[in-house]
Amino acid sequence: MEITRRRFLQASAATGLLVAGTTGFPALKALAQGENTSASVEGKWLSTVCQGCTTWCAMQAYVVEGRVTKVRGNPNSKASHGKVCPRAHLAIQQMYDPDRVKVPMKRTNPKKGRNEDPKFVPITWEEAIDTITDKMMELRNNNEPEKYVLMRGRYSGMADILYDATTKIFGSPNNISHSAICAEAEKFGPYYTEAYWDYRDYDLAETQYVLLWGADPVASNRQVPHAINMWGKVLDQATVVAIDPRLSASAAKAQEWMPVIPGEDGALAVAIAHVILSEGLWNKEFVGDFKDGANLFKKGEPVSEDMFEEKLTFGIVKWWNLELKDRTPEWAAERAGVPAEQIIRVARGFAKAAPRAISWLSPGASMQVRGAYTAMATHALNALVGSVENIGGTLRGSSVPTGKVPSYAAYQDDLSKKGTKLKKIDQRGTKEFPALKSGKTGGGVVTNRVADGMLDKNPYEIKMALAYWCNFPFSCSGAQRWEKALEQLPFLVHITTNPSEMAQYADIVLPAAFHAFEKWAFTKSKANKIAFASIQQRVVEPIWDVRIDETEITWMIAESLAKKGFPNLLDYFMNEVKDPESGKSPTTPMEFNMALLKQLTQNVWDPSKEKKGDTLNGWQDFVDKGVWNSVEPDYFKNWDKFGTETKKFEFYSETLKKALNGHAEKNKTNIDDVLQVTKYQARGELAFVPHYEEPFRWGEESEYPFIFFEHRSRLNREARSANTLWYQEFKDVDPGDEAWDDVAKINPVDGDKLGIKTGDKIRITSPTGSITCSAKLWEGVRPGTVGKCFGQGHWAYGKIAALDYGKRTPRGGNNNEILPADYERLSGSTARHGGVTRIKIEKV
Amino acid sequence: MARYGMVIDLHKCVGCGACGIACKSENNVDQGMFWAHHLKRTTGVFPNVNYEYVPTLCNHCDNAACVKACPTKAMYKDDKGLTLHNPDKCIGCKSCMQACPYDVINFNSKEPHIFWRDTTTLIDKGTSSGQETAQKTGQKLPYYNPERATTYAGIRPKGVVEKCTLCDHRLAKDEQPYCAYSCPSGARIVGDFDDPASEVNKLIAQYGYKQLKPHAGTKPKVFYIRHF
Repeated sequence: MEITRRRFLQASAATGLLVAGTTGFPALKALAQGENTSASVEGKWLSTVCQGCTTWCAMQAYVVEGRVTKVRGNPNSKASHGKVCPRAHLAIQQMYDPDRVKVPMKRTNPKKGRNEDPKFVPITWEEAIDTITDKMMELRNNNEPEKYVLMRGRYSGMADILYDATTKIFGSPNNISHSAICAEAEKFGPYYTEAYWDYRDYDLAETQYVLLWGADPVASNRQVPHAINMWGKVLDQATVVAIDPRLSASAAKAQEWMPVIPGEDGALAVAIAHVILSEGLWNKEFVGDFKDGANLFKKGEPVSEDMFEEKLTFGIVKWWNLELKDRTPEWAAERAGVPAEQIIRVARGFAKAAPRAISWLSPGASMQVRGAYTAMATHALNALVGSVENIGGTLRGSSVPTGKVPSYAAYQDDLSKKGTKLKKIDQRGTKEFPALKSGKTGGGVVTNRVADGMLDKNPYEIKMALAYWCNFPFSCSGAQRWEKALEQLPFLVHITTNPSEMAQYADIVLPAAFHAFEKWAFTKSKANKIAFASIQQRVVEPIWDVRIDETEITWMIAESLAKKGFPNLLDYFMNEVKDPESGKSPTTPMEFNMALLKQLTQNVWDPSKEKKGDTLNGWQDFVDKGVWNSVEPDYFKNWDKFGTETKKFEFYSETLKKALNGHAEKNKTNIDDVLQVTKYQARGELAFVPHYEEPFRWGEESEYPFIFFEHRSRLNREARSANTLWYQEFKDVDPGDEAWDDVAKINPVDGDKLGIKTGDKIRITSPTGSITCSAKLWEGVRPGTVGKCFGQGHWAYGKIAALDYGKRTPRGGNNNEILPADYERLSGSTARHGGVTRIKIEKV
Repeated sequence: MARYGMVIDLHKCVGCGACGIACKSENNVDQGMFWAHHLKRTTGVFPNVNYEYVPTLCNHCDNAACVKACPTKAMYKDDKGLTLHNPDKCIGCKSCMQACPYDVINFNSKEPHIFWRDTTTLIDKGTSSGQETAQKTGQKLPYYNPERATTYAGIRPKGVVEKCTLCDHRLAKDEQPYCAYSCPSGARIVGDFDDPASEVNKLIAQYGYKQLKPHAGTKPKVFYIRHF
């Protein structure tokens, strides 16, 4: 469909340049009331990392007299072109948030619940740590260390010292990461086609066609500044197609918008594949061709496998026969609500740009109940046009030679060895939750299932949790389950910057150093064909009594445990962590932090270590420059050795067949039964090829007439920025959204039917919950669907994020209270996309 | 003599708002005020929908209506062609605000940055307050940028207006305005329209341009090229 571009800027009839008059340059002096500091104060740019999303951009903070006044991209960062997106600026207000937790606190009201005031009182760090280690020792003394769980949200490159080593030396198998509420289903696509369990990089500089499957690169994950910086060029040289239920930020700039009905992405993907094959447009160099050259892919007709000579792929004919032959554009148009002509046009354009064509999958198209096969289908399109690891296509990344935490096996005693072998609380690997990360049954986490495991005491009771940099009762769908699970949890320690929703259930709250400006750590990431490691440094002295979550607090716990008769953790830290420059073992929390940081990043900054990338002149050079850049990866690197079962790019996934078989065998059943319990429709051979699955939705249309879908904000710092003024003031930079508000975007046709106008307060109800927010009638969403951004709706966190913190009144409503806890079970992911629930709307 | 202004390449602009936020950081701009902001509009009917985003700021007009309207010469043109404001002369009459066709002049109707004077704490002795945080940093605004004060009041007091200066304090050091410096897409280009060789002149010659409300007659110097 043609998008009519209308202008409201009037063309100027300017008649040339005029010379302006001048009034001279009066000497201005700062007014008494505004006078704050000497104007001559010189500041300094110091390098650090923004972790507002997972791009993890190297940035710099301008520090004047011990304060951060502004930020910029790190000019040394090749991956981000020395730029940062709007999120980075919000970090300043996050650090100086008046609602920061400034001291350790303990709960004095034993009753837990959303409407219970925890009656927190300040305590010393000594008392806090002492209380925590008393509880830990109690578990060990009762021979039940497995009843401790570590919950991790966002993290740095130092995470494993707490997440992995500490948990395992203590003796619990329950180190739970947030990964499965993030994007694991997305990784399923490239893994079960080309054995790559990771996010891809994209060769934007060379591309000529970009299919965005729910991806919104100029606004959110995973390479935002790179995408923004390149987008003008991309739009000049390439056709950009945004497949998104919403007119997203990227859709607004795209040449084509395919406003897919939520969850029907898979129909479009297989129809595009159908067109490419039936019209003979596939890339012969990558896929191969029919032996006699004539295209036998004809609508509805199966093809004999021995007629096709395949090159770098496996199973093209099986894919056609099992799935694609009947997936016509007309068939897909019916389901996806997108015209067949547009599907054909896009398929042809995409294929003709081969191999400089990108099929860019994202959580939107994969974090759906039946999204695993959509992830595979959308990624497989890259292989059809030969763009996998090709110029202008989809890429892997170079490696960053940072180290791993030292082996801790020698520090585990019998109790911890026994405990760590027990089943985890998230039920990964059970029949219903295959979580097939990297081909292994139970290989990945099922984050959101932990609440149920805790509530059901399945496989056992959890008595204590240490949670950091996470906020599961806000960030997990079916959020109410988390509130219940935490209400009944006997002891929760929460390490946090803010009195978040999760903190309301804590027995001990520990104030965390704010990552961007108060921590010493490192991160690694990739974009723009560059993999990079960045230093996160304490650019200013914290104004509150905070500690670094992963290291300082961990050290304090280890010291305390040692005093109470369990020295193993402290021994491990003292023996295995040494400052590579001085050779000294750490004796204080900060020495431990710095020694570990230098140790893990030594390969990066030590000029004597061989590596493919920048040569830095030592530790201080790394701190000063702030970033180490890799070389660009080679194209075609895995073409002759994809790590799949067949060593080929698999359209028919022998790799998935093996993984499903392994899972079925472990659970003493067969693959069809696994598919049944994981809510998939496919049976038999169809399970091994990318294929269409009907979207799974909660709620009957008769009672819940609208399909609900959610999206991300270009200002969300993973739901941690809503307590900043700038977030609220600029919230309207998300197309369709409003400043200082949380709106449900409703098509005007539906608004008229319901008698709802923009600005009306509405209640949105799904089968599992109800929230209130404002209505926004907007043409950027399809009639029959309602779209709403994630990030607002905090009932705690601070006095901006919440409308009334004391009364637990949220600003708007948290989508996770209407989204049911459902899963893409093959990857263990939380299924928050694809229109997972229907809703009804009432004016209130 | 020079006539500084800005070209905004709407093709490169992705509407992210970094310019407006960075401006607040650089210029110590209070809550509710915007020196750099945006207009946005959604037109058409689903599925033929068009979204436009136009970043806005003071147009530093050659024929500035605010300067003409100001009874005290607080609003004036400088030798770079910038429209600047002297708060010492400002009587807060708001004539400039009424005269400006672009709604880019802000009035300080209350004590500035009162958010940082607030003494409310959510958890007694456990969380901070605006006032305590500001006191800890020794500034009225924790992230106060003193560089702003080299050419203008660092924080403008109650009773006067304030507006974009095109970061005259940065231009004086041959640095780009912070909005342009912070634009991740490189959409904002600042230069001298009196210099025929300047990048800004080249861009408007190459692409043509549009302006906001050219018929208001103020001869604005923010030129929009290409389309969003």
